[in-house]
Amino acid sequence: MSADATTRTGRPGNASRGSIRLEGIVKRHGATTVLHDVDLAIEPGEFFVLLGPSGSGKTTTLRILAGLESVSAGSVTMDGEDVTTTPPGERDVAMVFQSYALYPHMSVAANIGFPLRMVKVPAAEVARAVEAAATKVGIQHLLARTPGQLSGGQQQRCALARAIVREPRLFLLDEPLSNLDAKLRLETRLELHSLQRNLGVTTVYVTHDQEEAMTLADRIAVFMDGRIVQVGTPREVFATPQTRAVAGFIGTPPMNLLEGVWQGDTVTVAGHAFPVGAHAAAPRDVTLGVRPGDVRVADGGLPAHVERVEDLGDTAVLSYRAAGALVKQKTDRTVVREGDDVTLGFAPGSAHLFDRTTGARL
Amino acid sequence: MATGAAARSFEAQERRFALTLVAPALVLLLVTTTAPLVYLLWTSLHRLDLGMPWLSGFAGLGNYAKMGSDPRFWNSLGLTAIYTISTVVAQVVLGLGVALLVLQIPKGQGLLRVAAILPIVLAPVVVGLFWRTLVLSPDVGLVDLVTRTLGLGSHNWLGDPQLALISVIAIHTWQWTPFAFLVLLASLATLPPDIYEAARLDRAGAWQRFRHITLPLLRPAIVVVVILRMMTALSAFAAIFAATGGGPGSATEILNLYAYRTSFSELNLGYGASLAVVLMAITLAISYVMFRLRRSRR
Amino acid sequence: MIVAKPHPIRAIAVPVLTGAALAIWAFPVLWALLTSFKTERDVLAYPPSLIFTPTLANYHDVLFGATSIVPNLWSSVIVAVGATFFTVVFAVPAAYALARLRYPAKRASGFYVLATQMLPPVGLIIPYYLVLQRVGGLDTYFGLILIDLTLTLPFAIWLMVSYFEDVPLEMEEAALLDRAGRFGALWHVILPQVRGGIAVTTIFVFLNTWNEFLFAVVIGGNRVRPVTVAMFNFMSVEQTQWARLAAGATLAMLPVILIGLFAQRHIVKGLTVGAVKGGGRR
Repeated sequence: MSADATTRTGRPGNASRGSIRLEGIVKRHGATTVLHDVDLAIEPGEFFVLLGPSGSGKTTTLRILAGLESVSAGSVTMDGEDVTTTPPGERDVAMVFQSYALYPHMSVAANIGFPLRMVKVPAAEVARAVEAAATKVGIQHLLARTPGQLSGGQQQRCALARAIVREPRLFLLDEPLSNLDAKLRLETRLELHSLQRNLGVTTVYVTHDQEEAMTLADRIAVFMDGRIVQVGTPREVFATPQTRAVAGFIGTPPMNLLEGVWQGDTVTVAGHAFPVGAHAAAPRDVTLGVRPGDVRVADGGLPAHVERVEDLGDTAVLSYRAAGALVKQKTDRTVVREGDDVTLGFAPGSAHLFDRTTGARL
Repeated sequence: MATGAAARSFEAQERRFALTLVAPALVLLLVTTTAPLVYLLWTSLHRLDLGMPWLSGFAGLGNYAKMGSDPRFWNSLGLTAIYTISTVVAQVVLGLGVALLVLQIPKGQGLLRVAAILPIVLAPVVVGLFWRTLVLSPDVGLVDLVTRTLGLGSHNWLGDPQLALISVIAIHTWQWTPFAFLVLLASLATLPPDIYEAARLDRAGAWQRFRHITLPLLRPAIVVVVILRMMTALSAFAAIFAATGGGPGSATEILNLYAYRTSFSELNLGYGASLAVVLMAITLAISYVMFRLRRSRR
Repeated sequence: MIVAKPHPIRAIAVPVLTGAALAIWAFPVLWALLTSFKTERDVLAYPPSLIFTPTLANYHDVLFGATSIVPNLWSSVIVAVGATFFTVVFAVPAAYALARLRYPAKRASGFYVLATQMLPPVGLIIPYYLVLQRVGGLDTYFGLILIDLTLTLPFAIWLMVSYFEDVPLEMEEAALLDRAGRFGALWHVILPQVRGGIAVTTIFVFLNTWNEFLFAVVIGGNRVRPVTVAMFNFMSVEQTQWARLAAGATLAMLPVILIGLFAQRHIVKGLTVGAVKGGGRR
């Protein structure tokens, strides 16, 4: 892989390869529309994550990029070339499936070398490339085994090796970590990150785990109900979620959302007014969003009853019942105990406001 | 559909590939089944007597009209019904019975499965032959040996019209019950044991457990077995032909055999064709009904 | 598995009844085997003896004598192997297309294959006979194998369809993305997955064609005479030569019995797969 120019992500990579455009993608399944007007621009070398709950259309979009699904309208462009109807094998795209889809009757080496053999690469060349790819993911000692003899984590690496061996212009990963146990998932996440950095290949990664998205992505596209509701860096998506839905999805635990009325410089929630540092032109119904990390125990705030204290060691997650809703706080200092009654507040600048009906950010 | 349907497009490729794969088989089937079928219908509208060729000519629906007043035809129809129903019922009842028995002796299952394979793999013609000679022969056949020892005397199992019908039913049942047995055994093995525990805790007796849990769960398998066995019974030929040839007289002449004998023994192919057409119609009607039944059960 | 309470009557009745089933099913074959080693005199003896001097004379006659069935065994081999080969070659690709691919009139073709299974053989043999007679196709291997295909092809297709459906779709997609192309995906990835299914199909088709009688007796003649026809003729000619009949039948059925015994698990699986997953014959 030649390290020509650095891409906008500041990583080495072939700057001219791997730019992806999706324009006006609509996908219909009979009477139901699965994807509404999806537009995406992905830069070479970028680690781009498609994030969203199940059924939001992110996997369908990935499969459209792979060429495994047709589009009802719109176009897919790779490096300037229209590949909308190009068969999957001719797009120079590699994919790691959620189930890994390894070929059980072939050895690990044969699995990894398969894409090369299919385009008649000479055997010696294949062996060299297989060795290299296997080493990059750390399974070079397992080449003689069959997939059935591998652990889940090893199988996943085998699938990865099969994808990287052919140096494609695009990697697609469909929730590759979801079949691994929690600890392995965290380890593998880091390895994936550094692997992608080394190779510099444009990567599109699908997940419903927002923590994964936040740690891995250069940019995230948040999917809801077949539409993209926000595209941005993890920081942007976290700090300025564009809709209530996105706000309620990102973050562990997710943002607290309360109904209130925005009037003047305050939002009134269940009879208590909070300064929010923004002026309302006219009174309107809003949803107030406060991250658990921004919730404070403060005098004169919203009355809340402590329902649960989950002490995780260096942080604690507290669940309150306030204004008839469940409010969560994340803090590193626990001063309250279960059963206490306190009042809550927050810094005016940390408030997020969303229109009550549309959910759009204000 | 995709914008810009290039000839290289993924879907066009798939279509072409699929048609290449499936066309040979379909063409072959068309040539070997549909074309002959049309010819069969055509033949049934003719008088075609190889024994008296000068009489051959177009006969319209004459063959079918003749059928209406042909006692041998109605006889064969009745025999077909008796044969089909009794063999299918017997196979399912016996097959299920043995399967239930075997479940209680896990060690015997392997041996019984091997024994069950034997009748199924034998050629029906050989089975018919075998029963005719070694089993049902008067005086020296196996069955007669048993009845003589039991003091029930010797009988002409294949020569007496009523006994002959029972005999061929027995032969068919003997050969095909193992099929029902094996399929139902496999089905029974997949039933979850938890519900039985629950039922036993609810103080349900063995018969009740069977009726209310086992049977309903087995219904899909039983329906499939019935359909398949029915098809075999309707087209049963070799075993009966070898054992009795359709006789004595027409005592075991199911419609299948009647059509054959008319066509190839009496060389009256026109009438034989019409008989075959009627059999085909009956078979298609029954399979249609059975498949509908199966679909509505799902 | 149903676990029964221990019950005194049950403890005796169950093994006895099961043993009876075992005997009823296995005994005829064993009895025929036994008979084939007896002399004709011993066969007709009453009461029948289990102790006798065995002889190989019957087998000798049946193999090397004037009425040797060796040419018939050959005939059967040609017909069965030929029909099996062509069935597999035609049915496997067609089944894959039906199971996995999209093409115009797919559902119609599926119904069509299903429908052809419903045709009773006697309905086919009449037109076949008339046509083959006219073109001189009677008593030819081509003619017999062709008509045998009408029995085996639909069944083989449906059996293979269920095996193809068991292959995970993602594996196929992975192969396509790995630049194998449609044919490469089928050949390198999918077919190896359904090896078991192909084995089962081969066994079933072979069994059914070896044992086939109606078509063989009508289409065959002096040249094409499989063992099924030979055995039938045997009986009419050798009226009471039962020992020889038994020897002949044993030899004629030897291949299928061996297959039955050694491939028993395959056969049972095939029966249940074919039965449970969408209608197949036999």
